[in-house]
Amino acid sequence: MSQNAKIGLGRGILIGLTALGIVAGIIRLIAGLGATTNLSDAYPWGLWVSFDILTGVALAGGGFTISAAIYVFNLKKFEPLLRPAKLSAFVGYLIFVIGLFFDLGQPWRIWHPMIMWNPESVLFEVSWCVMLYTTVLAIDILIMALERWQAHSWVGFFRNIYVFLIVAGIVLSTLHQSSLGALFLLMPEKMSNLWASPAIGPLFFTSAIIGGMSMVALESILSAKAYGKKLDMELISSLAKGLGFALVIYFAMKVTDLYARGVSVWSLDWAHLLFYLEIFGTVALPAILLYMPEIRQSSRGIMWCAGLAAFGVVLNRFNVSLTSYGGYRDFWYFPSAIEIILTVGLVAQAILVFDFGMRYLPVHSELTPHGATAETG
Amino acid sequence: MKAILIDTTKCIGCRACQVACKSWNDLPGEASTFSETWSNPKYLDADNYTRIIFQETTSPKGELHWNFIKRQCNHCLTPACASACPVGALKKLPDGPVVYNDDICIGCRYCMMACPFQVPKFEWSKAVPLIRKCTFCADRLVNNQEPSCAASCPTGCLVFGERDQLLKEAHRRIGLHPGKYYPEVYGEKTGGGTCKLYLTTASFQTLGLDHQGFRPDLGDYPHGLHGREWMAKVPWVALTVGGLCTGLYFYNKRRGEVQDHDKREG
Repeated sequence: MSQNAKIGLGRGILIGLTALGIVAGIIRLIAGLGATTNLSDAYPWGLWVSFDILTGVALAGGGFTISAAIYVFNLKKFEPLLRPAKLSAFVGYLIFVIGLFFDLGQPWRIWHPMIMWNPESVLFEVSWCVMLYTTVLAIDILIMALERWQAHSWVGFFRNIYVFLIVAGIVLSTLHQSSLGALFLLMPEKMSNLWASPAIGPLFFTSAIIGGMSMVALESILSAKAYGKKLDMELISSLAKGLGFALVIYFAMKVTDLYARGVSVWSLDWAHLLFYLEIFGTVALPAILLYMPEIRQSSRGIMWCAGLAAFGVVLNRFNVSLTSYGGYRDFWYFPSAIEIILTVGLVAQAILVFDFGMRYLPVHSELTPHGATAETG
Repeated sequence: MKAILIDTTKCIGCRACQVACKSWNDLPGEASTFSETWSNPKYLDADNYTRIIFQETTSPKGELHWNFIKRQCNHCLTPACASACPVGALKKLPDGPVVYNDDICIGCRYCMMACPFQVPKFEWSKAVPLIRKCTFCADRLVNNQEPSCAASCPTGCLVFGERDQLLKEAHRRIGLHPGKYYPEVYGEKTGGGTCKLYLTTASFQTLGLDHQGFRPDLGDYPHGLHGREWMAKVPWVALTVGGLCTGLYFYNKRRGEVQDHDKREG
């Protein structure tokens, strides 16, 4: 009873925050970017790009990561995580698309990259990949809905093209997760050389895998608590093991990159402090913690490690797109109230959609899509 | 390829070019404010496509010297903004200008991030903002008129002409007065080369205008090409990842079937 009341209160707060976000969005559309944000010629990109766009997509990397683990690396035991991961990926991309809509100077021209092409532009590629991948995720969600509505012939149709959806999802994610980093290849001179690396594409890709895995771990633990389901500890432990492994790889990539470019790593200015927090606090620390079996096998331990790792991805995206750029200008940027309210509203909306999906859609169905393809095939 | 040679030693800081630019582009005037130098306006923005930076330097002998450095879009030979724009709203014309198309821009501001000279500016005061920057008076060039700033310059500091000839002229002046000029033309190779060529008394390193759009450390490689190089790899990455995933998917599926089969037999 008290559990239900708590969930009810939680939903109420989320609905309130979403409503505030909508109001902020309307104000933004009417008054314009300059009037409602603290963006300027010195800071053309701010909170919305750093969080809604770069972070939203990175933390939504769970969909393609789990899907690749199951279908490409044949780790079938992760199948129960696939559908929740896809659902969380979908809400992550919702944050991206809605956030981008409000961030653009000309929001209703958001479709322009579809017919106005510039194949030289990394951002052009990102727009196409995100458009297509959001469609793939929407189809994934649609399949779940069709199962729930028992539209069997439609479900059968989508199962026949399932392999195409899986491969497209992995290819599109590989491309745009890394290309979001490659956006910053054009401005090395404006960034702190701690982050301005020619290897930023592969680094973004790897950290998106970390972001995705840690979000899947967090969501599994939290939703098991919220919906009173029993947590499959063995499964989450092996996911945590995978996360630890990914963190070690990422740490090695970072060190190699810094060493190869001969960056002076030891200093005590702002950029370096943020860098230490990122690399030691949110990459090395969770990796070491996850190496310990007692932590890897407790849901609280995994929650802390996954939380740290996810925060590390957020911090990395902010460092690359905002703080790293800061030293280049004489100006200071801090997001306006509207920017913050809209972002909070987006996150609240995403949790609501995720919650709705978890309750309404067959995310924990016994019949996994893979089993189904094996049947029909 | 057209260009403008900016011989800053001939500039007297009259700002006729700023006024001419405003007139031709129909930009609103604004109230002046005091600043630590006599530069006015203090920054380029959506209403100011060009400005003269007033910079006082001290020579080794202790003599004060005014430098007047005109700032505007440098019209790169390989513009980073045009490489960045996802919809191709920014284009380099064969004649030299880098021009912007109001009708297709989505307002993502990646060009502002990408420009090594921090030139594109946004109409922050408008509800429906667009990018604004110097157009090299592309609409005058098509009518065989020189850009309005060059046309208005009373001292011959701004010389409009063919880029290769202006470069020759710049080096001729450097050769003629070795003590007067710093022996490098900013824009000849800077950022892959630009259509605005600067002759200065001192190096841009000495002038210290890093934060005002003249970085000395841009190198000769156009940054826009980093994006193109990345894009050239994209199809191959897509094919490789796609091929591997499809292959492994069917391999795993087949292996699962064989294992099931064996289990049933055994």
